[in-house]
Amino acid sequence: MSAVNDASTILASGVRLTIPLAFAACGEYLAERAGTMNISIEAMMLGSAFTSVAAASATGSPTIGLIVGLLTGMLIGFIHGNLSHRAQINTFVVGLVLNSLVLGLTSYLISTNTFTSHQVSLLSIPGLRDIPIVGKALFNDRWPAYLLILLVPLTWWVVERSRWGLELRAVGENPHAADVTGIKVNHRRRQALLWCGTLAGLGGAYLAVGEVGSFNQNMTAGRGYIVIAAVIFGAWRLGRTMLGCLVFGLSDAMRLALPALGVTLNTQLLIAAPYLLALLAMLLFTTTQREPAALGQPFDRSSA
Amino acid sequence: MVPTTEQVHALQLRGITKSYGSVTACDAVDLAVEYGEIHGLLGENGAGKSTLMKVLLGLVHRDSGTITVRGEDVHLADPQEAASLGIGMVHQHFSLIGELSVWENVALGDKGRIDKAAVRAEIKDVSARYGLPIDPDARVDRLSAGERQRVEVIKCLRRDPKILILDEPTSVLTQAESEELFAVLRRAVRDEGRAVILISHKLAEISAATDKVTVLRRGQVAFHARTADTTAQELAKQMVGRDVSLRADAAALGLLPVENTSDADDAAPDERPAAVLEVRALTVEVGGVRRLDGLDLRVGAGEIVALYGVEGNGQATLGDVFSGLIAPTSGTVQIGGQRVEPTKPGALSDAGLGIVPEDRHQSGVVLDMSVAENLAMKSLGTVSGRMFVSRRTMYANARRLAAEFNIVASSMDTPVRRLSGGNQQRVVLARELSGKPKILIAAQPTHGLDVGAIEDMYTRLRKVAAEGVGVLLISTELEEVMALASWISVISDGRVTGSMPVAEATPERLGMLVGGEAV
Amino acid sequence: MTTSTMTEQADTAAPDDDVAERLDGDWGRRALARLRVSRSGWLTVGLTVVLVVIAGGLSAALILSTGGSPSGSLHAVWTGSMANAAGWSTTLLNTAPLLLVAAGTCIAATAGTFNIGQEGQVLIGAMAGAFVGLRLSVQGPLLAVLVLVAAALGGALWAGLSALMYRYRNVNIPVSTLLMTFLAVELVDWMVSSPSILQETAQGSSGLASSVSNPLPAAGRLATTGQYPSLQLNAGLYIAVILTALTAIMLTRSRWGFRLRMMGLSPLAAKHAGVRVALLSGVALAISGAFAGLAGGVLLASPIGSNRLQSGISDNVGWDGLLVALVARNRPGVAVPVALLFGVLRAGGDFLSSTGVPYFLVDVVKSLLVLAFVAPPILIDAVLRRRASRGVVAHLPAAPATPEVAA
Repeated sequence: MSAVNDASTILASGVRLTIPLAFAACGEYLAERAGTMNISIEAMMLGSAFTSVAAASATGSPTIGLIVGLLTGMLIGFIHGNLSHRAQINTFVVGLVLNSLVLGLTSYLISTNTFTSHQVSLLSIPGLRDIPIVGKALFNDRWPAYLLILLVPLTWWVVERSRWGLELRAVGENPHAADVTGIKVNHRRRQALLWCGTLAGLGGAYLAVGEVGSFNQNMTAGRGYIVIAAVIFGAWRLGRTMLGCLVFGLSDAMRLALPALGVTLNTQLLIAAPYLLALLAMLLFTTTQREPAALGQPFDRSSA
Repeated sequence: MVPTTEQVHALQLRGITKSYGSVTACDAVDLAVEYGEIHGLLGENGAGKSTLMKVLLGLVHRDSGTITVRGEDVHLADPQEAASLGIGMVHQHFSLIGELSVWENVALGDKGRIDKAAVRAEIKDVSARYGLPIDPDARVDRLSAGERQRVEVIKCLRRDPKILILDEPTSVLTQAESEELFAVLRRAVRDEGRAVILISHKLAEISAATDKVTVLRRGQVAFHARTADTTAQELAKQMVGRDVSLRADAAALGLLPVENTSDADDAAPDERPAAVLEVRALTVEVGGVRRLDGLDLRVGAGEIVALYGVEGNGQATLGDVFSGLIAPTSGTVQIGGQRVEPTKPGALSDAGLGIVPEDRHQSGVVLDMSVAENLAMKSLGTVSGRMFVSRRTMYANARRLAAEFNIVASSMDTPVRRLSGGNQQRVVLARELSGKPKILIAAQPTHGLDVGAIEDMYTRLRKVAAEGVGVLLISTELEEVMALASWISVISDGRVTGSMPVAEATPERLGMLVGGEAV
Repeated sequence: MTTSTMTEQADTAAPDDDVAERLDGDWGRRALARLRVSRSGWLTVGLTVVLVVIAGGLSAALILSTGGSPSGSLHAVWTGSMANAAGWSTTLLNTAPLLLVAAGTCIAATAGTFNIGQEGQVLIGAMAGAFVGLRLSVQGPLLAVLVLVAAALGGALWAGLSALMYRYRNVNIPVSTLLMTFLAVELVDWMVSSPSILQETAQGSSGLASSVSNPLPAAGRLATTGQYPSLQLNAGLYIAVILTALTAIMLTRSRWGFRLRMMGLSPLAAKHAGVRVALLSGVALAISGAFAGLAGGVLLASPIGSNRLQSGISDNVGWDGLLVALVARNRPGVAVPVALLFGVLRAGGDFLSSTGVPYFLVDVVKSLLVLAFVAPPILIDAVLRRRASRGVVAHLPAAPATPEVAA
């Protein structure tokens, strides 16, 4: 039936668009629970998208490209972490500058270089993929996508159940108390940013060598900010954040698919949807669902 | 008191020196603490007690001197080392994270995998052994101040510390809770052979709870004795460095004798002067919690009325109402006979209310603005035209006030941040009084000041009252209240539980009222 | 009384009082606090120079790596921006909107609100200006004035929405202004894609219309002095300079500015002193939006350009203006030379890209320069403070008032 088919296609497309967001959102979630507001996530995704394509082109292996992208994200996370939580430069300034720098660099470099396209292979699970409607969406993706099955619960477990996660949450809620208890606050925050960069790098790399196969100027086009919107929409809980990513991915898919199906929904509204939804979520928050108390607050050892 | 034979002390500090730039916080301090004893560390604010403790906890590195634990010299490079040596501290504020549960907070300082069940079991065990009931799963920001302290104590005791340090523990406790705490301490010390260092500036507490006492003054050890062998008078003298004879000194040091020997003018209830401030049935509800519950207050012109109570019973909220930060849910505030709407911008100020707020660093002054700017803050109209501020007028105004109120600063341009606590408080007072208020609210005005500044504040408050201004003194210090006020109201749980002229006030009576029992 | 670190200091030779203000309110306020630095001096200037040289070196390396010529690129930038009157005209044309945005940002930052949505406010301003310019049939220079006024109002309203969200639902200001920027882009895009609203009238026989508006009528454009290619200055520049000067005076000398500064430094103390913090911070945010919106109007009504509204018209003026203010440490006076520098980069970059070197290079240089200017004061301050209080591993914090909980 055509309707089922269409739904299945849109769903598959939506899931595909969600996956890079989901990777990055795990990272941003981690960073924000630690109290760091990380807007350089856009730079992390874009930078890793570029380097993954460049590396894949140079070595012929998209998997190496994936790894290089992951490392690039880690590098950017390292830089941001040290500039903001060691050198104590305003984190918004660092984020904005990194975004601008990476955008300029990657745009410049892609306009002066050409790369050959490589894509990681598809991993299609026979049998499961034939489930109506959801089959093609969930079981017919590039192989790195399936890492999410492990990554999401792992991220949740690390933050909510492990000691590192307990200290992370403490640092995000009340860094001074955490400090007195002997936790190295800025160290944890730098670690959180490092992991955020790694995961966001994975997301950006997946977008480039996973889905698209090549790099275009400003390829991520604000996806980093959408991830931030997703974390807000999810009220700083991982499950709801993933839901947010899915909602945003689906709305993007609908925007792309609906015109072909003859349905005219306002394009701009669909593009704006994630930001609108995030704003709405913030407007409707009650006091039980709020951000980590110390979010965005820089921590200085010698300031009591 | 030098032992003739070498004893193995639980803890021995020798020649501890620590300087910050040109200021010597600790100067060749010697301290010896034995197992089975509660050792009091007495000194006024700025004497070096907290720096010494930071050295002991590995939070700060000493410049010179040795620390010996159970006969072995140690380095104490970081808090982890201190903890491993069995040194534990019960913190006062900011070591608990509100959004986490009790058991998570307790588990926070550990290493290794989290074992929720084990931590909860330990909490229950320590809780039972010492009589400190607490729910391990409760969120800390929902607990009362006394309950939070229990968590701190449990957090400390579960590490099985050989040496326990308590820093001013009773400031947030009622009389009953304080006694409970000292009972717990005695159990820990006598029955289990631990050593306790009790830091306090309250002489009464030191006299009652400690076995030995060391007095610090200006970073040096001024005095050391067995508590039983010395008197409160002597301790006070050593703490301040001179004879303590004035009543104000005595109050500042917590030295007031048990019976009230007030010689202030005690007006009988019906002879009180005309009211400049009347608060009736004031109720403030925030987030479903009743912070103030039908509070009644009356301050007459020229009176000093004290609102006495343990921290956390509504004083901060009352202060916020008087600052116009919180709107009352119901009840009225009348200044000079006129009803005032507290949250209407400028209404309280226009009606003649001045307030020296409780946390001067947050609401009293703008730390990064200059002395002159801070002094002009509330009365911009007097130093400016319609649009522009006249720098010249502002500075002239500032210099005048600085002279009158003895504010010591290198220039009127100095950021207030660089002033001492006493001077900052004088800036606030000067500013408030320059508006010629009818009623002055002084909320914990001597909090964190040294004795000299405290005495100065008392003198000024008395002077203000003598000039006909009504003064409402909100204080947690019994001695201060008894020394200054002519009328005392006691606040507990957001209401006034009792109200009397100072002649009828005894520590016992006040203590019961503070605990919530009407007498 | 609890032992308090804040009292362990004498009047004069005290160790630096490191008791930080516990700032109330949104994260933006707390993040803004990090921009306030107390020390300056030769060390800072020296470090800045070093970092600028490094930034230059990195950029040169980048150019070399792609086969370009650093000296040639530098020459191109020079030619496009400062070599002659034409260059200066372009530079100043670019500077004006940047300066406007920066001045507005200074106002918001002084008040303690961290507005990062200038790009969106610029767009909405341009949109409002387009509505007025294209719909009102007014003659003469009055139209241009109305366009600018509408633009300012549009920007003010857009920022005002964020202020309302903060006031009534405690929505964080940096985040809401950021999100609103993306909404602004889509809103404008929609308007110029809908024929019934702002889209241009269909052209030619095919009847195709792109997503742009009709151009503003001549009466709606800014007046100019001089004629390109000799030095041409437009009204936008004059407006920008005047408003910046006004901003500087108001912030430092007026009663209103005093209250704003109080609020930015300590909202609680300001409330205590009778300042209506909620209202005033909302007003400051709206004013900064107005400035940004005005910049949008200036862009739309520019004497050089298509005068058509489209979703790309803001061209990063909002973001760059924000960066100008950050580099200038929120001081309007310093914003003037910084905005000029950014104007030079934009004008030179445009010329550079016409020689075949992609414009993106300028973005790279700009970002590195921002870092080079922002980092030194903070680094020097941190190093000096660490030296002053050596050996402090952690402070037991000063005790605040106990939070009251009903027992």
